[in-house]
Amino acid sequence: MGKEEILKKLAEATVLGDVEMAVSYAKRAIEAGIDAYEAIMNGCAEGMRIVSEKYEKGEMYVPEILCSAEAMYAAMEILRPYLKAESIGERKKIVLGVVRGDIHDIGKNLVKLMLEAAGFQVIDLGKDVPNEKFIEMAIKENADIVGLSALMTTSMVVMPEVIKEIKKRNPKIKTIVGGGPLSPELAKLYGADGYGKDASEAVKVAKSLVGG
Amino acid sequence: MIERMTSMERMIAVLTGQKPDRIPVNPFILGFAAKICEIPIGDLYANAKKSFRAQLLCAEMYGYDSTPMYAYASFGAWEFGGEIGFPYEPGQSAPYIIKHPVETPEDVDKLEVPDPKKAGSIPIAMELAKLCYENKMPVVFQVGEVLTTAANIAEPARLLSWMIRKPDVVHKLNKKVAEFFIEVAKYFTSTFGADKCMAFTGGPIESNKLISAKQFEKFVYPYMKQIHSKVLELGVNIILEHPCSDQNANLPYYVKLREELNWKGKYVWAFGPETPLEKQIECFGKYDVIMGNVDPPSFQFKSFEEVLLLCKDNIERGIKNPSGYILGVGCELPPLSPPINVYALIKAAREYGSFK
Ligand code: B12
Repeated sequence: MGKEEILKKLAEATVLGDVEMAVSYAKRAIEAGIDAYEAIMNGCAEGMRIVSEKYEKGEMYVPEILCSAEAMYAAMEILRPYLKAESIGERKKIVLGVVRGDIHDIGKNLVKLMLEAAGFQVIDLGKDVPNEKFIEMAIKENADIVGLSALMTTSMVVMPEVIKEIKKRNPKIKTIVGGGPLSPELAKLYGADGYGKDASEAVKVAKSLVGG
Repeated sequence: MIERMTSMERMIAVLTGQKPDRIPVNPFILGFAAKICEIPIGDLYANAKKSFRAQLLCAEMYGYDSTPMYAYASFGAWEFGGEIGFPYEPGQSAPYIIKHPVETPEDVDKLEVPDPKKAGSIPIAMELAKLCYENKMPVVFQVGEVLTTAANIAEPARLLSWMIRKPDVVHKLNKKVAEFFIEVAKYFTSTFGADKCMAFTGGPIESNKLISAKQFEKFVYPYMKQIHSKVLELGVNIILEHPCSDQNANLPYYVKLREELNWKGKYVWAFGPETPLEKQIECFGKYDVIMGNVDPPSFQFKSFEEVLLLCKDNIERGIKNPSGYILGVGCELPPLSPPINVYALIKAAREYGSFK
C-alpha cells in the first residue's frame, strides 16, 4: 500500500471514529517509513478537518465527533514517539479554558481537539476557570496564545479583564475568544487578537496569529 | 390600557381557550429576580423561601403573569448521588455540577432510582411548591428532559459518545431517569392533587447542535412519551415543554408525541428563538398554546427601544395562534439584563397585545 493510500485510510478511520482501523493504519504508516508528523497532519488532522466540515453541514453530530476524537488520539499515541525533535520543538502552546461561571465545555473540547490535530500543544484548564488561573497559567507556561470560551452572555463579560491583565503582564501573548454569544465585533471590543466562530476557524485564527 | 384581569385570570383564560384582557407574559425569569431583589443568585436555587419571595416580588413589580417555580438545567446529577454547587460566586448564574454520579457502565448498573422525597434538590422544589399551593398558585414540577438529565448524571461528553459506543448503557440509564421522573410526578400530584399541578420539561442536550433527529428518535422519544403519558394519566392537564436551543429537526417528533397522545391535555410550547412562531403554529396551533421566543441575549445587550420592537414583532406573529399565545423569552432571561429592558415585555403586551 502506497503512502497516499495509507494517509487516506488514516483520515477515513478518523472520520468513521474507528479506533482499531486508526491504530492499524498508524502502525502501517510507521512501517512504511512515513514521517510521523506528516502522518498526523495529512492523516489524522485531515480527517478532523473533514469531520468539522461535516458538523457544520449537519452531516455529523457531537456523538460521532467524539468517536472521531477517540480514533484520532489512538492513532496519535502510536505516531507521537516517532516525531522528530524539530517538529516537536515548533509546537505552539495554547492555554485554553471556559471562563468563570460557565460550565458549557462541549464546544471548548472540540476546539481543543482541532487545535491538537493541527499540531498545537493545548493546556486545558477546563471549565468555570477563575480569571487569575488564566493569567497565572499564561505566564507560567509562557503561552503563545490564550483561548477563552464562553457560552453565556452572563459569563463572557469577564473576558476583557482577563485579556487586559494578560497583555499587561506579557504583551507578546495573543488572545483568542469564541463561543455562542461572541462575535468579531465583541472580540475586538474586548481587546482580543482573534475570534473563531467554530473549531476549524479557531485553528485558522491561531495559525494566522503565531504561525505553526 | 386598563387591566381588567388578574394574572391568574389571564393565564386561565388562555389555557381554557378564552380571550384575556391582554396576552399574558411569562418572561422565564429566574436569576434576574434574585438580582432585582439584591439576593445572591445562589439563594434562588438553594433557599425555597427566598426564591419564592424574590420571584413573586419581581413578577409583582413588573406586572408579568407567571408564578414562582423551581427548575434548573443541570438537574439530575445531585438527585442521583452526585454533587452540585450553587451559584454564589461572582459570574455564576445557575447551579453547576461538581461530581457526576456515573463514570463507568458499571456505575449505571449500580445506580438506584432515588426516592423523590429525599433526592437532591427535590425537597427544595417541594418547599417552594408548598408556598405556591398556600398562595393559590399552580404547583410546577420538573419531569425532564430525559437525555439532558442522563447527561448531567454521566457527564455530557461521556453520555454522547456512549450513544454510539454503548447504546444499551444509555438506554439503561434513560430508563432509570424516566422511572425517577414518574416517581416525582406521583409525589407532587399525590401531595397537592393533579388539578393543582403543571409539569415542566425541557433540556439543552436534546438540541440539534448536539444530536441528530435520528438520535432524538432513538434516545429521547420513547422515554419522553412514557413520562408524558404517565403525567397526563395522573391527571395533570398542563405541560410546559421547553425544547431548548435549536430543535427544528426534532419538531416532527414533538408533533408525533401530541398525535400519539391524541392531543390530550394542554401543552404550552416554549421553543428557542431558532424556531419561527409560524412553524410552531402550523404544528400545534389547532390545540396547544404557544409561548413567545424573543431572543434572550437581546435583553442584555440591546436598547429598550430595540427590545420593545422585538417583543412587538413576537406578539404580532404569535397572536395569530388560534389556541392562544403567551409572550415569552426563548430561554432563561439573562440575569444581567438592564432592568428597564424587562419592562419592554409588559409594555409591549399592553400596547400591542390587548383584546377589546
Ligand atoms: C448543552 C447546553 C447546556 C448543557 C452544557 C453541558 C456541557 N458540559 O457543556 C447544560 C445542561 C449543563 C447547560 C446548562 C445551562 N445552560 Co445551557 N446550553 C447548552 C446548549 C443547548 C448547547 C451548547 C453546546 O454544547 N453547543 C455545541 C458546541 C459544539 O458548540 P459551541 O459550544 O457553540 O462551540 C463552538 C463555537 O462556539 C466555537 N467555540 C467555542 N468555544 C470557543 C473558544 C475559542 C477560543 C474559539 C476560537 C472558538 C470557540 O467552536 C465550537 C466548536 O465548533 C446552548 C445553546 C446554544 N445556542 O449554544 C445552551 C445555552 C448556552 N445555555 C443557556 C443557559 C441559560 C443555561 C443555564 C443558565 C440554564 C439554567 N438556568 O440552569 C445553565 C448554566 C449552567 C452553568 N452554570 O454554566 C443559554 C445561555 C443564554 C445566555 N445568557 O447567553 C443558551 C445559549 C441557551 C439559550 N438559547 O438561551 N446548558
